[in-house]
Amino acid sequence: MTEALLEIRDLHARVEDEEIEILRGVDLRVEEGQVHALMGPNGSGKSTLAKVIAGHPGYEVTAGEVLFRGEDVLELEPDERSRAGIFLAFQYPAEIPGVSIANFMRTAANARLSDGEEMDIFAFQRRLMEKMALLKMDETFATRYVNDGFSGGEKKRNEVLQMAVLEPALAVMDETDSGLDIDALRIVSNGINTLTGADDKLGVLLITHYKRILNYIQPDHVHVMMDGRIVESGGADLADKLEAQGYDWLQEAGAAV
Amino acid sequence: MTESATMVAEAAPTPEVKAEGLDFGVFSAGLDEPKALTALRRGAYESYKTLSFPSTKTEEWRYTDLSKVGFESYAPTRPDHEVDEAYPTMVQDVLDRSGDRSGIIVQRNGRVVHAELDPSLAEQGVVFCSLEHAAAEYPELLARTLDAAEPAEMEQKIWTLSLAFSSGGYLLYIPRDVRLEAPVHSFRIIDQAGSFVASQSLVLAESGAEGAVIDEFVSEDIDALSVHSAVVDGGDNATIDYVALQRYGRGVKHFSIQHLISRRDARLGVFNVQLGASLSRGDVSSRLLGQGCDSRMHALWFGDSDQHFDHHTLQLHAEPHAASDLLFKGALSDSSTSIFRGLIRVDPGAQLTDAYQTNRNLLLSDKAKAIALPSLEIEADDVRCSHGATIGQVDDAQLFYLMARGLTRQQAERLLVFGFFEEVLARIPMSGVRARVLEAIEGKIGV
Repeated sequence: MTEALLEIRDLHARVEDEEIEILRGVDLRVEEGQVHALMGPNGSGKSTLAKVIAGHPGYEVTAGEVLFRGEDVLELEPDERSRAGIFLAFQYPAEIPGVSIANFMRTAANARLSDGEEMDIFAFQRRLMEKMALLKMDETFATRYVNDGFSGGEKKRNEVLQMAVLEPALAVMDETDSGLDIDALRIVSNGINTLTGADDKLGVLLITHYKRILNYIQPDHVHVMMDGRIVESGGADLADKLEAQGYDWLQEAGAAV
Repeated sequence: MTESATMVAEAAPTPEVKAEGLDFGVFSAGLDEPKALTALRRGAYESYKTLSFPSTKTEEWRYTDLSKVGFESYAPTRPDHEVDEAYPTMVQDVLDRSGDRSGIIVQRNGRVVHAELDPSLAEQGVVFCSLEHAAAEYPELLARTLDAAEPAEMEQKIWTLSLAFSSGGYLLYIPRDVRLEAPVHSFRIIDQAGSFVASQSLVLAESGAEGAVIDEFVSEDIDALSVHSAVVDGGDNATIDYVALQRYGRGVKHFSIQHLISRRDARLGVFNVQLGASLSRGDVSSRLLGQGCDSRMHALWFGDSDQHFDHHTLQLHAEPHAASDLLFKGALSDSSTSIFRGLIRVDPGAQLTDAYQTNRNLLLSDKAKAIALPSLEIEADDVRCSHGATIGQVDDAQLFYLMARGLTRQQAERLLVFGFFEEVLARIPMSGVRARVLEAIEGKIGV
């Protein structure tokens, strides 16, 4: 078997210094160019999985592996994972007053380049403007302080913009759709589709609580997570079945695992 | 920003400082200077002799022990005649990068080595010159500006010291309704180890005048003493911004006493940016003496190693309908320390005063320490006043967010410090001034 973009093997994790495991043996494989939707009820461990992949210091991995292009990333710091090509779109992006999006993104983009190859303000500005045009965003957006006073929709668009600028190999999108009205959802979904359309190798793990976003973004695979494990995987039609039948039929299956 | 309670440690009191070693006789013998200047320094020295340095028993000096400074162990730079030299490279570099200037004064050790003013401003009656020159040509302006200052008792010793041993410094005079489109910029460079440089920044703005001043203090890492006093007198409806950019090398001890006076409807802004020196103390007082005036006081400091920054401020409201706002923000790494002690004082007749005072501190290390002591003294009953202080660490959620975008921990912390400072930087009025301050901060923190 060839090397997967992301391969998670029997991953167990808990909140640091707490006893109870939130992830209790997750297995997942995402290939280049694929869009995977990860669904499941509240508290099933979806967001924990996203944070563990990104290296959030508040979680402790007790067993298992997270391989990115065959390399175990669990020993890497969050910034090293990011520079390697893993991107986490946050469910609740932090507000950073006083730091403009343009300045933040230039620092982040230059952190990927070796000494002496950094982009100056003008070179970066061109790249940023290209990406904003691609996502049909207003130029003044980049001058605003990062997420400071943003609406829910603006915060999520900002996540998509950052993803566009940093050009990751893998995007883990943690409930990017939650809290958005239908117009905002359409805008954000179009943004994600634009990026997957522009880079046919980009792998996406789309974590969502609702089927709604899958009306706009067509997944190759759908997984259901319950009680810290993936209990069901299938094609796009699995999302329809969940929409029609809820999670109860899986609850019984999960209990049997 | 996570916030935690202010912890104030008790400092052990130390004995009074006896300091009479500086030899004024030797210093002043044979000085070839205008009589007004000699009279000024003699008068100051007479007072200096009778005063003692405040000890740490004095509330305002509790955390900075003057007995350890060794005021008497440094050699005062002797005033020397102004000369006209080419800019030092450092000055040229700064000027090349940060835009137009209305005037430039460069002082090396105790001597003004370059002074220039846009001729069109000189024609309008603007004066920007060395103190020596001012004493000879404009003694009445010099006296008027100095007389406007009312140093507090606990400032007297250092204030008189700065005048008695004055060498260098400048006077800026802006006549009625004249506007400086670009700032004037003064550089004070110390390159003699063991030296003591005392100097003044005197700014007198007549009714309706407008301008901005940058005072830049520069040295390599040397053991030296810098004592500075400033008076900024904003006449009726004048608009003046005063920026002190302190980026001395380590080993320098810097004391700056700044007196700002706002007359009717005047708008005064002051920005103290403290980056260098081992010890830097700023006493900044703003007296609002006219109705409708507006005073904005700001400071930024970034400490590393064992740097010690101490700020003492006063917002004195003497008249009704005036507004003052103070925002001092400091970031501290390694085992650096900062102290903020501020007082809003509202006199009995100063009704309808708006006065605010905020000090925020960001600690980047477990060993760094900030002390914040804001206070109010209000004797009018129809006022809006508030004061507040916070001491906090870097927010973990912000840090993770930045690191998840590929910034190293150090890069993320630097960016958060810039974000923390931005609130003050955004208030610096002229873009050329702002650019210079930003560049200096970047030079210290790295980008």
